[in-house]
Amino acid sequence: MMRTVNAAETAPTTYPWAVHAEGLRVRAGRHLAVNGLDLALGTGVHGLLGPNGAGKTTLMRALATVVKPAGGRLTILGESVDGRADLRRVRRGLGYLPQQFGFYPRFTVREFVEYMAWLKEMPKAAVAGAVQRAIDRVGLTAKADARMKTLSGGMLRRAGIAQAVVNDPRVLLLDEPTVGLDPEQRLDFRELLRDLGVDSSVLVSTHLVEDVVAACTDVIMINEGRLVHQGTPETLVAQGGQGDAGDSPAERGYSALLRRHRAEAGR
Amino acid sequence: MSRILGIELRRSAALGTALALLVVGVVLLFFAEGISFATGWMQLAMTQRLYLAVLWPLALAAGAWQARREHRSNVAELFASTPRPRSHRTMPTLGAMAVAVVFGYLLVGLAGGLWIIDTARYLPMSVFVVVAVGALSLVAAAWLGLAIGRLLPSLVTAPALGVAGLGLLLVIPGATRPRGWLALVFSPIYEMNMPDAYATVPAQVSLAQALWLAALAVTAVILYASSGWRLRVAAVLPVVVGAALAIMVMPHQERVVNSAIDPVARELVCTEDEPRVCVSRVHGQLLPEVTPQAREGLAVLAKLPGAPTQVHEDTTTYSPEVTPPQRDDVVLLRVEAGSDGHLKDRADVKAAVVSGACASPAGCEKAAGLAERLAAGYWLMGREPVAGETSEPTIIAEATELWRSLRQLPAGEATARVVALRRTAGTCSVDEGPLSGGKR
Repeated sequence: MMRTVNAAETAPTTYPWAVHAEGLRVRAGRHLAVNGLDLALGTGVHGLLGPNGAGKTTLMRALATVVKPAGGRLTILGESVDGRADLRRVRRGLGYLPQQFGFYPRFTVREFVEYMAWLKEMPKAAVAGAVQRAIDRVGLTAKADARMKTLSGGMLRRAGIAQAVVNDPRVLLLDEPTVGLDPEQRLDFRELLRDLGVDSSVLVSTHLVEDVVAACTDVIMINEGRLVHQGTPETLVAQGGQGDAGDSPAERGYSALLRRHRAEAGR
Repeated sequence: MSRILGIELRRSAALGTALALLVVGVVLLFFAEGISFATGWMQLAMTQRLYLAVLWPLALAAGAWQARREHRSNVAELFASTPRPRSHRTMPTLGAMAVAVVFGYLLVGLAGGLWIIDTARYLPMSVFVVVAVGALSLVAAAWLGLAIGRLLPSLVTAPALGVAGLGLLLVIPGATRPRGWLALVFSPIYEMNMPDAYATVPAQVSLAQALWLAALAVTAVILYASSGWRLRVAAVLPVVVGAALAIMVMPHQERVVNSAIDPVARELVCTEDEPRVCVSRVHGQLLPEVTPQAREGLAVLAKLPGAPTQVHEDTTTYSPEVTPPQRDDVVLLRVEAGSDGHLKDRADVKAAVVSGACASPAGCEKAAGLAERLAAGYWLMGREPVAGETSEPTIIAEATELWRSLRQLPAGEATARVVALRRTAGTCSVDEGPLSGGKR
């Protein structure tokens, strides 16, 4: 489908990283869930791995500008994100699927995605086309006019992805997007991820190491609020040995990294 | 924005609210206490305002219900990541709820209007003002409901608010006594009950009410759309200023609406041909129904010396006390519309005109009694008195007795007594037993 490209989109970026965090600290309640994280994300698909409680969701929320960082520096799309910044411009370039995806159950898929496009302050003329494109991309074309409350879990997740990508975000944050998807849908989703990663910076949090290896250009692993590893899927695989837990090379790599980080932290 | 408003109209509580207002409003209008608005448009507009007693709390509850959507559907996280500020995001919801309550209210009016459209003619501008203030009160209620529902997003907020709203409207008149005008400022239903034929709502009252309701609506919008506590505190300002302005504008008198008369509604409109029959403008549609019988009555009276030649509607009101001027050539006749908008007491008009010829002016100390008037009237018509819709059996019995005694007299003597009754009635000098040959 042809799409009008506006001047802002073709303008060269003036920042090296779409997302850049230095010593980032973010609270979840009273607890510092992200504690001194350094991270730089460019274009591509970044898989975010880590055990439960590692700070993945808190990091996602900070990048989505939902929570204010408690310390350190965070720059998104070249703009500093701190307590005083006007976040409107940054947010126009964001797509976000929260772990708990809230939606209006009486809206149809199309209406909800259109509503989100409006909240993202998309130019009026572009909305209708962008909504259809987003729905088509996640494979919900046949369900476009069904009420949100009638969708199954997997469909809801896809509707959530559709609203996240409707504004062609430069930074796309997907918190466990594959929950509830069947194997076939997961394959389609990987395809979509590769497609999205061509011209935006996509951060996908997941527990499914296989998804990361299959669809991501980059793997980020965090534990206890700190960066453990950042590299290509191949480097993740390379970390693992025969003695590590896991059924695949990637899982063994994951286990090895985690074991080593815990050992260092415990010292 | 307009597309989003369209979505909100379809998917928010707006449709359900409009429907609920329509159904409840129509049921109240037609079944609560019979149809009391058949006289005309102003009576309909005021009756509709009275039933805001239920519609207003309903709109309040509907707003609170709608406001819970955001909380219930857990969208705060997602929406917090979007650039559009909360104040923009709330506008379509506010708009949809406003459209819904105004539409529902107008549809109730339309249902009432269809009932009287054939019979009601007189349509003063103030009718639209009364309706507009009613609609504004519902907008303020729905928005206030949104604001409170947002601040207290609980399942019980909506029903509790509905009950509280109803309670508030019921308590206001007692709480403001003896300053009834204060109730008129804060309650859109106060003094709207049982409007009589010439009733109106003075423009100053509507202006004061509109000021208060608009201020309340502004406060509600600020509370609902703002995201900082500073603005929420500032929201007190409009409602305080609005209340102060409204209190200043409202006339500081008791019964401002109840004692308001629309002089134009009360003006007489007459038949073009003789003998002239006139009714008030608000009853103008009843003139063709009144005229034939009224003229029959005049024909009966024609045998009296100095017989009246015109029938006018008796436009007496008691609050304020205003009576039409007494004229020898005019018979006054009470005219009322029935619940179908047509003349009530249709069969009684002729008898009422004939007996009315012997009526005394209002405020007479020595006035002609009803029994005497009926006896004289029915004697003139040559018929035995019958009970009309308004007369008591004892009066009819007395009238029948007097009528019999008149019949037993020679015609000349009976006529003389009736003429004497008419004369003394007109001058407020009726003595005891005027038809029994007492002092003439």
